[in-house]
Amino acid sequence: MLRAVAWRNVRLRYKSSFLGFFWTLLNPLLFLMIFLLIFSEAFPQIQNYPVFALSGLIFWTFFSTTSAHIMGSLIENSAVLRSLAVPPLVFPVSQLMAGLFNLFMSFIPFAIILHFFGRLPHISDLLVLPIVLCFAGFIMGVSLALAALNVYFRDIGLLWNALLPAFFYITPIAYPSDLIPERMRWITEVNPLYHYINAFRTVLYDGLVPTAETWYVILAMAFLSIVIGGYLFKVLRPGFIANY
Amino acid sequence: MIELRNVHVDYLVQRHGMRSIKSYLTSFGSKRLLERKHILHDIDLRINGGECFGIVGRNGSGKSTLLRLLAGIVEPTKGHVRINGHVAPMLALGVGLEPEMSGWENVRLCRMLMGHQRFDGEGVRSYIRSFSGLSEDDLEMQVKRYSTGMMARLGFAIATATDPDVLLIDEVLAVGDVAFQQQCYRRIEELKARGCTIVFVSHMLGEIQRICDRAACMENGTVVKVGNTHEVGVHYHGLLGIPL
Repeated sequence: MLRAVAWRNVRLRYKSSFLGFFWTLLNPLLFLMIFLLIFSEAFPQIQNYPVFALSGLIFWTFFSTTSAHIMGSLIENSAVLRSLAVPPLVFPVSQLMAGLFNLFMSFIPFAIILHFFGRLPHISDLLVLPIVLCFAGFIMGVSLALAALNVYFRDIGLLWNALLPAFFYITPIAYPSDLIPERMRWITEVNPLYHYINAFRTVLYDGLVPTAETWYVILAMAFLSIVIGGYLFKVLRPGFIANY
Repeated sequence: MIELRNVHVDYLVQRHGMRSIKSYLTSFGSKRLLERKHILHDIDLRINGGECFGIVGRNGSGKSTLLRLLAGIVEPTKGHVRINGHVAPMLALGVGLEPEMSGWENVRLCRMLMGHQRFDGEGVRSYIRSFSGLSEDDLEMQVKRYSTGMMARLGFAIATATDPDVLLIDEVLAVGDVAFQQQCYRRIEELKARGCTIVFVSHMLGEIQRICDRAACMENGTVVKVGNTHEVGVHYHGLLGIPL
């Protein structure tokens, strides 16, 4: 059932649009072009800016689209949830599966683009997979909480859509983190997204293995997020039916 | 057999729309954000296996919630619900139909949501074809191009394409032309003859009296009268203040 619903999500996301799946790629690529136009001269300390930017953008896009989709998944399927005995969790989980599927599919063209900018594939690139898993766990927890709260208060959805761009600028995606002044560093440190983006960059841009500390941090955040999000979802679930 | 013993259902609902968050924040948590509402209370009901059981009652008397309870969509806050066998709820027609996908794809998806196996046998396919009266061309077409009546036919075909032990029907037969309605009643009679238990909710006493063996009348969230369809009809009309 999960697979069928996830597949429906993948197909529906792009079904009626002309370019279909390419929208997944186009969105970060458009951002990349804007970045290149504006920032490429701004950060001379970055050797290969396109690779730097893209290695952050791919995962930011994954985060923003997937969290928004999961958040809306319960309300969008309210008609089904009101009249069939389907566990509500099916819809968030299948949205995550659809998001992961999209992400993995987009790796292929992105690898080609990165190659074009002079970044050769390496065996250590496979380390992206465990980071993606942790990241997916983190997103799931956050989005479960959002989805559950969104059933009761539609403000949550609007608020999240307003907050996403703010997170985008707070998180060092377009710019290197060492540009942040010392006294503002704590903001970056408490921002979970920074740690995930940083881990992806360590692998894809620096070509290094993330430190043990990084692994602990991203694992712990994923775990915490799932526990808290899952708990909230469980507590709020009995009231969904009256508030869809 | 279906048995409900001292069943209560409470819903957790928002107090007063969007304003509540503001008043909640300004009251520093002394006001409650969500309110417990009693939807069903003190319900004791026994429906025998193979029986066709009608439920009448005014709008908002709790009929639909009772069906949701039987379908397993709502859990009782207090009390016990016992229900034997596979339950097929038909609380709304065309639920889960995805406009962008074809008829057959929708059949697959909806059956999956109803908890069936992944692959539909030829038996199911030919049943859908003959019951809905839709041609192979129609079924290959995107559902968004269907007329309302075609949607209803497909919805009912999907919903009844099983041999459920218990069929729950919530006033879905009101749509569709007369010929289609008669076809629906024939299917109900057919399932009944096979020993399927049917719970049928309707405003229309005539329908209840035509197909049901016994009936119940609901008022203010509880069952106020159980008996043969004539007795219940008299009681219901008494409530409405309309002589039978």
